[in-house]
Amino acid sequence: MAAALWLVVAGGMVRAQPAPVAPDLLRPPDENRYVDRAVPDVLLLRPAEPSVRLSNLWDQRPVLFTFVFTRCAGICSPLLHSLKAATAKVGGAGTDYQVVVASFDARDGPATMAAMAHDLGLEKAPGWTFAALSTEDVQRLAPTIGFWYRWDETSQQFDHPAMVVAMDHGRTARLLVGGEVSPVRLQEVMDQLHGKLVSIYPLPGKVAFRCFEYNADGRLRLHWGILLMLLPSLAAGALTVLIFQRRGRRD
Amino acid sequence: MNPTNLSALTNAKPPSAALRRLTLAWFAIMFLLFPILVLLGLVMRAGQSNWLHKLSPEYFYAVMTLHGLGMVGLWFVAAMAVLSYVLKRYVSVSLWASRLAMALTVLGVGLLIACTLVGKFGAGWYFLYPLPLHPGGAWPAWSIGAFFAAIGVLGVGWLVWVLDLMRAVSRRYSLTASLGWHYLRGRTEPEVPPVVIITTVTLIAMVAALISAVIVLVLFLMEWLKPGFTNDALLMKNLTFFFGHLLVNLTLYLGVAVLYELMPAYCGRPWKTTRYVALAWNAVLLLVILAFMHHLYMDFVQLHAFQVIGQISSYLTSVPAAVVTILGLLALVYGAKVRWTLASLLLFLGVVGWVIGGIGAVIDSTIVANLRYHNTLWVPAHFHTYYLMGVVLMLMGAVFHVCQELAPMPENPGRTRLTIVLLCLGGYGFLMTFYYAGAHSVPRRYSSYPELLSKGVTAAQVSTFFIVLFLAGLVLYLWETGKRWRKAWLLP
Repeated sequence: MAAALWLVVAGGMVRAQPAPVAPDLLRPPDENRYVDRAVPDVLLLRPAEPSVRLSNLWDQRPVLFTFVFTRCAGICSPLLHSLKAATAKVGGAGTDYQVVVASFDARDGPATMAAMAHDLGLEKAPGWTFAALSTEDVQRLAPTIGFWYRWDETSQQFDHPAMVVAMDHGRTARLLVGGEVSPVRLQEVMDQLHGKLVSIYPLPGKVAFRCFEYNADGRLRLHWGILLMLLPSLAAGALTVLIFQRRGRRD
Repeated sequence: MNPTNLSALTNAKPPSAALRRLTLAWFAIMFLLFPILVLLGLVMRAGQSNWLHKLSPEYFYAVMTLHGLGMVGLWFVAAMAVLSYVLKRYVSVSLWASRLAMALTVLGVGLLIACTLVGKFGAGWYFLYPLPLHPGGAWPAWSIGAFFAAIGVLGVGWLVWVLDLMRAVSRRYSLTASLGWHYLRGRTEPEVPPVVIITTVTLIAMVAALISAVIVLVLFLMEWLKPGFTNDALLMKNLTFFFGHLLVNLTLYLGVAVLYELMPAYCGRPWKTTRYVALAWNAVLLLVILAFMHHLYMDFVQLHAFQVIGQISSYLTSVPAAVVTILGLLALVYGAKVRWTLASLLLFLGVVGWVIGGIGAVIDSTIVANLRYHNTLWVPAHFHTYYLMGVVLMLMGAVFHVCQELAPMPENPGRTRLTIVLLCLGGYGFLMTFYYAGAHSVPRRYSSYPELLSKGVTAAQVSTFFIVLFLAGLVLYLWETGKRWRKAWLLP
């Protein structure tokens, strides 16, 4: 009887995975819609440490927050490895900022998050926090940062975007969307969080033509899109010569 | 100046019936659309005056879009129509391209009216990326398609017309002759009138402008229709303002080309090409293409060098076009027995408006000034000045001249004076309210003003009075010109 009850409860927990409807389902979040939005102050259920509110962390220093789940067979592990490498290169974790890795999966708890931290070699890393959230807190937090997740019955996996949210004093400062966290982009985020103007950065998505490329060292380089700026004048000149040349041939 | 070739100026060969009818048909479009577009402007200012409580913000911006695009497009086609007529003295202008442009213009205008007044498409005449694609519920998807279709249809028609006019010039003049390069070397043969040189310069740049519009349109459509395709916002803004800046300024130059051709007839003196005229207008070709960068001063991501180029070329553009033209015009009228008719007065006053608006433009193209004036009503103030009281007056004068030439009728000096007074009083009064508001930092493109910007409300209220005065002058003008138009239309 107890076993049956446990099965029902466990099954219910899996089946009752809340899947917030994505604002733009299946598309990466658009940073424009989430920057400077207030983030709910959720409770982080940490392994081997007392639970702490997110505000306890962002009141001290900016937070780089990411949602993962431990049973992920897809993007979560590459994302975390990439984030680990980027923070190591940029430096400052624990002093300039905190990294919070939280699970949105109701099956995860502090213990599974501890295991994840151990697998990544980050269980004792300064400035890194692995935590679980209650279902209610996940449902409150996810929509405000553009995160969505959807259960796929075939693969028995969650479909979700890969993203890191820079939070500053309870507000979203930047979104880094994509499975790879570039040290250059992370440095830009750090610069911005420390009040330095970052005048230009690329948004995710296939931007076919740009006028310029911006490097983190502050230099702009011309890109292919500049040819589109020159094309009208060149075409006008060519058409003019062609039209007047035809006049010459007639003569 | 030697009064040579006056017979060519005053006894121009009559046009063919086909060209006459086609030109008059273009004028009819202008007579119909201009008052409507002015009324749309009145509706906007009345809305900003808090007198039209039923005017929702969505409709305000839809009206603003139609007013802006409508005016810019209308005066471009009016300038091309007058120029085609005037150029017949020197080159053989074909009519099929003009007819095609007319058909596509009518279609394009219909689409524009549908997408704005019915669909409430309100992205502004500059349709700045990415706003057209992200209406936030303000306009439906079909109106986006209708808008792009309108731009495409208008662009194709106008590009074909421009290329055909260039072809017509090329049949008589070589490229170097039509640009007046021999004048730079001190030679005066072959004689090329200023209207041909200015037209050639303008048409070359216009081709570049229209091609830029095509590129922007294609990029917009790719993002609209192909999920995942994203444009670079900076590139789109550069392309859009390259097109828009050139379209407006080149329309102005087309009007100036007509001025060079028509004004001598009223002064009894020719206005010939000199080395300075050739040099000035060849310089304009390069400078007008570079000056568009002054539209992106506030885009701090734009390359710093582009901002500097924008300011320098904006300053320099005014020198050849305005200084040479103004000095030439003053020399033409000084000491001459000028026949001051409605046509010559409007042509002359158009240059005055161009100068005044040009000064405002040069001020605004100074980066440190632009920091204050950008996105205030100073900006519409200066461009309405050189447009409404500049090229529009010039073209109104030219249209009257053509109608009078086709169907001569005695002019009533009293009505002429009243027309001029109403147009100038109304026009400049309306503009002063813009300058006043802009100097008090009232922002542009606001459908209504909050309490903090009460000066904007006052300025809008006062401006409606002057718009009504302008409209009264416009009615008188349409009456006088319309009489002659009708007589010319009924000619066999």
